[in-house]
Parts: sequence; C-alpha cells; structure tokens
Amino acid sequence: MSNMGLVLAIFGAALAALLAGIGSAKGVGLVGEAAAGVVSVDPSKFSKVLILQLLPGTQGLYGLLTAILMLSRIGVIGGNAAELTTAQGWMFFVAALPIAVVGLISAIFQGRTAAAGVGITAKKPEHNGKGIIMAAMVETYAILALLVSILLIYNIAI
Amino acid sequence: MSGTKYANAVAAVRAMESSLLTHNDIDQLIASRSLSEYSSALASKDRANDTLEAVWEMLRGYAPEDKELEILLYRSDFHNLKAALKAVISGREPEHYFIKPTNLDLSALTEAIRSKDYERLPEYMQKTAAEAYELLTRTLDGQLSDSLIDTAALNAMQEAAQKHGGSFMQQYAELTTMYADMKTAYRCALMKKPRSFIETAICGSPELDKDDLVRAALEGTDGLFAYLENTQYGDIAKLLRDDPAQFEKQCDDAIIELAETARMQAFGVEPLAAYYIAKEAEIKDLRIISVCKESGTDNETITERMRRLYV
Repeated sequence: MSNMGLVLAIFGAALAALLAGIGSAKGVGLVGEAAAGVVSVDPSKFSKVLILQLLPGTQGLYGLLTAILMLSRIGVIGGNAAELTTAQGWMFFVAALPIAVVGLISAIFQGRTAAAGVGITAKKPEHNGKGIIMAAMVETYAILALLVSILLIYNIAI
Repeated sequence: MSGTKYANAVAAVRAMESSLLTHNDIDQLIASRSLSEYSSALASKDRANDTLEAVWEMLRGYAPEDKELEILLYRSDFHNLKAALKAVISGREPEHYFIKPTNLDLSALTEAIRSKDYERLPEYMQKTAAEAYELLTRTLDGQLSDSLIDTAALNAMQEAAQKHGGSFMQQYAELTTMYADMKTAYRCALMKKPRSFIETAICGSPELDKDDLVRAALEGTDGLFAYLENTQYGDIAKLLRDDPAQFEKQCDDAIIELAETARMQAFGVEPLAAYYIAKEAEIKDLRIISVCKESGTDNETITERMRRLYV
C-alpha cells in the first residue's frame, strides 16, 4: 500500500479529535447534570455553574487543534497531501497520541472534579472560585499533552 | 463512567442544604417567648421541603428505583404493618394510624391484611405479616406482636443494607438496630420479661451480639448495664439508665454523625440519604421546640434536647 504513511497520519489526526472529543463530551455532560440539579433549585446560580461546565470542554478543542495542525502539516488541508513513508506515518500517528489519550482521561476526571465543584457553588456560592481552581488543575496535564503533540508534529521531518 | 451516580440529584440536594436550619436559626426559635412567636419566626425562614413527605417525594423524583434509599423508610413501613394488623383485627379503619412517607401502598396493605393475601406486600414483610397476624389473633398480645414486627423491621433493614447498600447504609442499619436493641433490652430487664419474649424482641447486630444481650437482659438491669459497660457503648448505656431523653438524643446524634460522612461526597446515594436524615432531625427539633413552647418548658431544657444539626 503506497500511501500507508498518509493513512496512518490521518488516522492519528482523527484519533486526536475523536478521543479528546469523547472525553470532553463525557465531562461536560456530567457537569451539566450536576449544574441542572443546582439550577432546578436555584436558577440564579446558572452563570456560576456554567463556568464549571465549560472547563472539561477544552480537551475537545485541543484535539481539534491537534488534528488541524497535523492535517495542515501533511498538506491534507491545503489539498496538496505529502508523500509519507510508513515510518513517517507512524510518527504522525504517535504524535497524536498524547493529546488523544490524555485528553480523553483528563476531560473525564476534570468533569468529575467540576461536578464536585458544582456542589461547592450550590452550598457556598461565595467559594465558587475554589471549585474552578480545583477543576482547572486537571487542565495542566491536557495542556502538557497538547504541547508534546504539537512539538512532535512540527519536528517530524517530511 | 462508574462512580458518578446521582450527580444531578446530589447537586440539587447541596443547593437545598443551604436552606436547612442553622444553629442560629434554632437558637432564635428557642428564644421565642410564645408558641405564636415561634410559629411566626419559623414562617419567616426560607425552608425547602418542610415535611418529610415532601423531602421523600423530591428524593424519589431523582432516584425512583433506588432500593438502598428505601431502607430509610423500612421502620415506617413496619409501623404501618402494625397499624393495619391491629385496625383490621379490631374492625377499625387504619388510615389515622399510618405514618408517611412510606414505601407501601397503604390501601393495598390494608387490603392484603384483610384478605390475608400477603404476596401483595413487599417481599421483605410478607413472612412477618403472616406471622404477626397469626400471633395476634392467637394470643391477642399486641405487645408481643409489636416486638415481632419491630425486630423484623430491623432485620429487614440489615438484610437490605447488606444486599443493596454500601457501607453507609450498612452502618445506618447497624446503628439503628444497636440503639433499638439497647432500649428494648433495658425495657425487658425493667419489666422482667421472660426469655421467649426477649428473644423475639431483640434483633442483634454486629455491634451488640443478640445472645449476649438476651443473657444480660435476663439478669436484670444491673446485669444488663454491667454487660454494656464492658462494650464500647458503656457511656451511652449510662445515659439510658440516668437520662433517657439524653439517650434518645445521643442515638439521633450518632445517626447524624454518620450522615455527616456523606457531606464530602459529590456523587452517589449517600448524600441523598444524608439529606433525608438531616431533615428528619430538623423536623424532630422543631417538634420538640413547638411542644416545649406549648408546655412552657424553659429554654435551657429545650436547648439540651436539641439534636445535632447536619449543617
């Protein structure tokens, strides 16, 4: 299969968007459930819980960003796809893994933390910021994974 | 995604917890100079779900099929069984004696007792209903039949907690059983009840062994307290002898202390159960204040009787 390298690279890009997106959907969904519980009792807390709900959504964006960068790097977005060897294809595939895997897991755990933060907002709205900070801490690892994926993508020789 | 059960319900309950009465609220209510002042002070509080029925309805809305949550109402269910049995046997209408909330369909309960069709009842009370009916009609001993049903309620709680519940509900069932057993053993010792009665009335729990407690109760109150003092419940047993009102308070406080362990949980059925327990304690406090205000009890005595608050 002469374009196996390109297939692997595209598969990697799809995986980054797919797994990180699934993680975000789960995380945002969980926080949404918790947030709806609070809003059903006290609608005035909507804006505060909304911030918490948005947090696990970023991993999906990081996955999307990684996929776009990768597709752009291999020329698929410009309509001028590069000729990749199988080894290069594997390299692009592996480059997508950090954000794909860490994005999936961190979004789910960030969702759990943010949902717990919704409990703080429900009971002590003045401490809402603490719940946001705790959930944001999980974000660190998604950012690190994104950084590694970008560094790899831009340092693979084509 | 395991372990995130009832995220929605727990968040809603957390929001409602902010409307539970605080120590300041309770102090303010106690300081009321009359029952009418107490009533208007209470009416000015922004309280969500001011009856246990409302609390239960709300919780069931979030967790309609949860078997673990049902355990909280087992004692009410079995009380209703007692009421239905006595009313049906004595030819009266049982409605006035029922307590709510309950897991039972009360008209179906009455009908099941009338027709002796116990299969219409939940599985956990079918055998007890048949036995209690037979016992009551044969002996006409209401106390014995009540003991049988009370013990069955505690057994059913412990069994259901083992089957459906986590460690929270298991501890709840064990604590409830243990305190009930202590009270029963004390009453049996005071009234010098025979072994057969005591064996029917005491349930037994991992905390207090049934055989040991029966043996101690047969030795009279001194023997019973000598036994209890050698367990980890020696201090609370002294209250049972010296100040029964404080003993009751300690029992309720121990359950609230257990409920407080669920305050740190963001998911699961435990925070829902804890909220129900908290509301139960709050309503009990309000009832005590109301009765004391009506009878003119001094504020210091009322304060002593107040249950530990969940908030």
